[in-house]
Amino acid sequence: MRVALKVWRYDSATGERALREYEIDAPEEATLLDCLDIVKDRHDGSLAYRKSCRMMICGSCGMRMDGAAVLACKTRMYDIAQEGRVPVISAMGNLPIVKDLVVDMDPFWAKFKAMWPWLEPGYERPEDGREYRISQERMNVVHKESLCINCGLCVSECNAMESDPEFLGPQALAKGMRFVGDPRDGATVERLERYNSEHGIWDCTRCYFCNERCPKGVDPRDAIAKLGAESIRLGIDRDMGAKHAKWFVRSAETTGWLREEELIPKTQGYVSAIKQLKFGYSLAKHGKVRPVPIPHVAKDVNEARTLHKLVREQDRQGALGHVQGEHALERLAHGHVNESLEEIYARPGAAPRPWLPEVEEAPSA
Amino acid sequence: MIAKHDVLVVGAGCAGMRAAIEAFDAGADVAMISKLHPTRSHSGAAEGGINAALGNAAEDNPEIHAYDTVKGSDYIGDQDAIEIFAQEAPGDIIQLENWGAFFSRREDGKLAQRPFGAAGSPRTVYAADITGHVLIQVLWEQVCKRDIPVYEEFFAWQLVENDGRCQGVICWDLLHGGLKTVGGKTVVLATGGAGRQYRVTTNAYACTGDGMAMALHAGLPLKDMEFMQFHPTTLYPTGILLTEGIRGEGGYLINKDGERFMKRYAPNALELASRDVVSRSEQTEIDEGRGVDGSVLLDMRHLGAERILERLPSSRELAMTYAGIDPVYDPVPVRPGAHYHMGGVETDKDGATELTGLYAAGECACVSIHGANRLGGNSLMETITFGRRAGRSAAEWALSHTTVEVPESAERDAEARLRELLDREGGERPWKLREELGSSMLENFAVFRTEAGMTKQIEILHGLRERYPNVYVEDKGEVFNSDLTQAIELGNMLDTALCMVSAGVVRKESRGAHARPHDYPTRDDDKFLHHSITRWKDGGVELSTSEVRFTKWEPQERKY
Repeated sequence: MRVALKVWRYDSATGERALREYEIDAPEEATLLDCLDIVKDRHDGSLAYRKSCRMMICGSCGMRMDGAAVLACKTRMYDIAQEGRVPVISAMGNLPIVKDLVVDMDPFWAKFKAMWPWLEPGYERPEDGREYRISQERMNVVHKESLCINCGLCVSECNAMESDPEFLGPQALAKGMRFVGDPRDGATVERLERYNSEHGIWDCTRCYFCNERCPKGVDPRDAIAKLGAESIRLGIDRDMGAKHAKWFVRSAETTGWLREEELIPKTQGYVSAIKQLKFGYSLAKHGKVRPVPIPHVAKDVNEARTLHKLVREQDRQGALGHVQGEHALERLAHGHVNESLEEIYARPGAAPRPWLPEVEEAPSA
Repeated sequence: MIAKHDVLVVGAGCAGMRAAIEAFDAGADVAMISKLHPTRSHSGAAEGGINAALGNAAEDNPEIHAYDTVKGSDYIGDQDAIEIFAQEAPGDIIQLENWGAFFSRREDGKLAQRPFGAAGSPRTVYAADITGHVLIQVLWEQVCKRDIPVYEEFFAWQLVENDGRCQGVICWDLLHGGLKTVGGKTVVLATGGAGRQYRVTTNAYACTGDGMAMALHAGLPLKDMEFMQFHPTTLYPTGILLTEGIRGEGGYLINKDGERFMKRYAPNALELASRDVVSRSEQTEIDEGRGVDGSVLLDMRHLGAERILERLPSSRELAMTYAGIDPVYDPVPVRPGAHYHMGGVETDKDGATELTGLYAAGECACVSIHGANRLGGNSLMETITFGRRAGRSAAEWALSHTTVEVPESAERDAEARLRELLDREGGERPWKLREELGSSMLENFAVFRTEAGMTKQIEILHGLRERYPNVYVEDKGEVFNSDLTQAIELGNMLDTALCMVSAGVVRKESRGAHARPHDYPTRDDDKFLHHSITRWKDGGVELSTSEVRFTKWEPQERKY
């Protein structure tokens, strides 16, 4: 098939950027990475990009296609070529470009290392010298976080990092959750104290781009939410973000409403709230808040209270309170649940039913 | 020389990182050199698992593990090394678990173990079907904990031999450009395999045999190079690996009639016969017209969605992404693809090579525990156990010696050679030679081999090697010049391929992965119960043999 692409080239020696267009012949199964290989081999040997496994596990080939971060090896080009689209390929965002599609990953790894990314065993080693026994169910708390291949797509798309380059960011925090949630780890409080500091978990703007772009279903934003929940559960709540979240819960539990007027003093403190009185007055004038905040209790407040009680009784107050993200659910929803094996074998165009020679008869054609 | 260290590890996959961690823990100043960031290494693509006789799923012990490995090797694995391997494997697995490896668990909370090909017991510890990923992550975590420096995206090009010892490595700095020499009292090669010599391979682009070639060019022997493992289940058409764990979980191999043909080739083990046996059976089915578009079918439908999603999620994703097939509903087309070099740089049980100060571990080394055919799950274990042993012995040697010297002439010569390559204009682009190499190796030196095919392949390789000095690099820049490193990689693949085929021609028998059904269909222990040795001499391959070390198992007929 004929594939056309535009690539943003960058020459670090001169600092020049240029958009180059290439047109190539590629096999129908070609991925974006295959296409770049053809460009490099046959058209322009100076094109630079990273690659290795070409099977979505090494995390080398992160880049942007039409402004959205992708793994080049995971991106099939057939549909794009058929539609006659000419995608624009560029380097990942939020990281300095070294050359063409190659970015400097040092800032990425510095944040990774800032997480204390290793297990601090918090258990007694079994006396028999064997492995520590733990159920799969308990380990599954960090199943998604353990899938991370450090490709950097989430970091590329992180809106919070765009405004605060120091923000620890989705991949580092997901790695943090991989240990905070690991029942074998013994440094949970120290970790959370660290992740709660400036540029930490509460700086996330909850845009969900990281969940959207992650090629492995790690759902970094969910990991950040779990870190927040764990922090609050363990009383690490001095950050405004934590206080903000806590007030939502408290407010819903007590009156069944979000008492917005009290949100500022509860989150930022009374001094700060007084300083913002003028702003508050302006809000009230425009009908955005009530001028006299008298708490009133919702009719069905008991429902909210029961819910809260249930979460407490089931001991799902921290990370465990977060359900698996949409992507995980999507992967489970494969539409196979109600189909029997016989029905699968009988599908139109199905491959022949397997049979064992000498034991079973070959089914008649 | 930009820096010197006690121990310099080249390659940062499982073997390299394990060696570096061990050297660090032994008190050495250790650094790693890698052309990729460590987590990008191809160890991370290993899927199915890692073998250790823990006996969690059924009765098992290291003795049975050793026997299975000896039998799998078609009796040319060195039995002393295999016994050490099987004995030390369980302890190494427990250590990985203590470090935090996210292995799959049994109901009773112990590590889960699944059946694998040619294993007498369910011995393969796993993490769903991303075991390599889990190991790479845990080793990288431990490297971070120790703050071991990594010369990242340094392309190791040449060993520095001085005063009869290996004292460092000359590298091309991929990210910034320029030749950089890093000195080391000892050097550990852990650079992995060279599957990219073949057009259909499970291997990453990075697997180009750089360490084997560096050792070869330094005059060291490569051992058992003719034994290239073809993995039975690589996805059509890309060659992407689908784990043996699929068959371990109960998957079937069927031909176009739905027949589970393995019954005719391995009546007892069926789909779980050893890899050489299964690959040959598949190739026979395909050659005799019972395949589907040059493939056979890997059928998981009967496993059911739940099991596929729990145990084999990544295999499903690979099949869906690269073949457009959901294995819940349809069988997946697979065929044998180049997967693993049983051979490599000859080492002793502690990873030491013939050259003082140089060690090797993992796929680039040949200890040899795999002999003529490796069992699935044994290579990840080898990276850990022999990576550790090589790291320990390299550190001990380094800590009892003091000096590191790199003669200026070595750096000057390398610089001159590099400039010659970089400045070359006109001629041929490397991809042409690379494609010819990949296609011809697949045609003439794959699952089945013939005298005529191998002789022809040697001629082809000579022809490619003659053309190689005319390849030119289009990128003349310094920063991230992967055009240059790819040209160097091509040279490495050509020279190691010549060793493989040269050793293959003279082995006039069928043993393990070396199958000659037309002229020498059986194993010949009288004449060929030995290792083959290839050395580089006067720009060509010099062949010899060495003895297999036996301890307690006599060669027997091998049936599954």
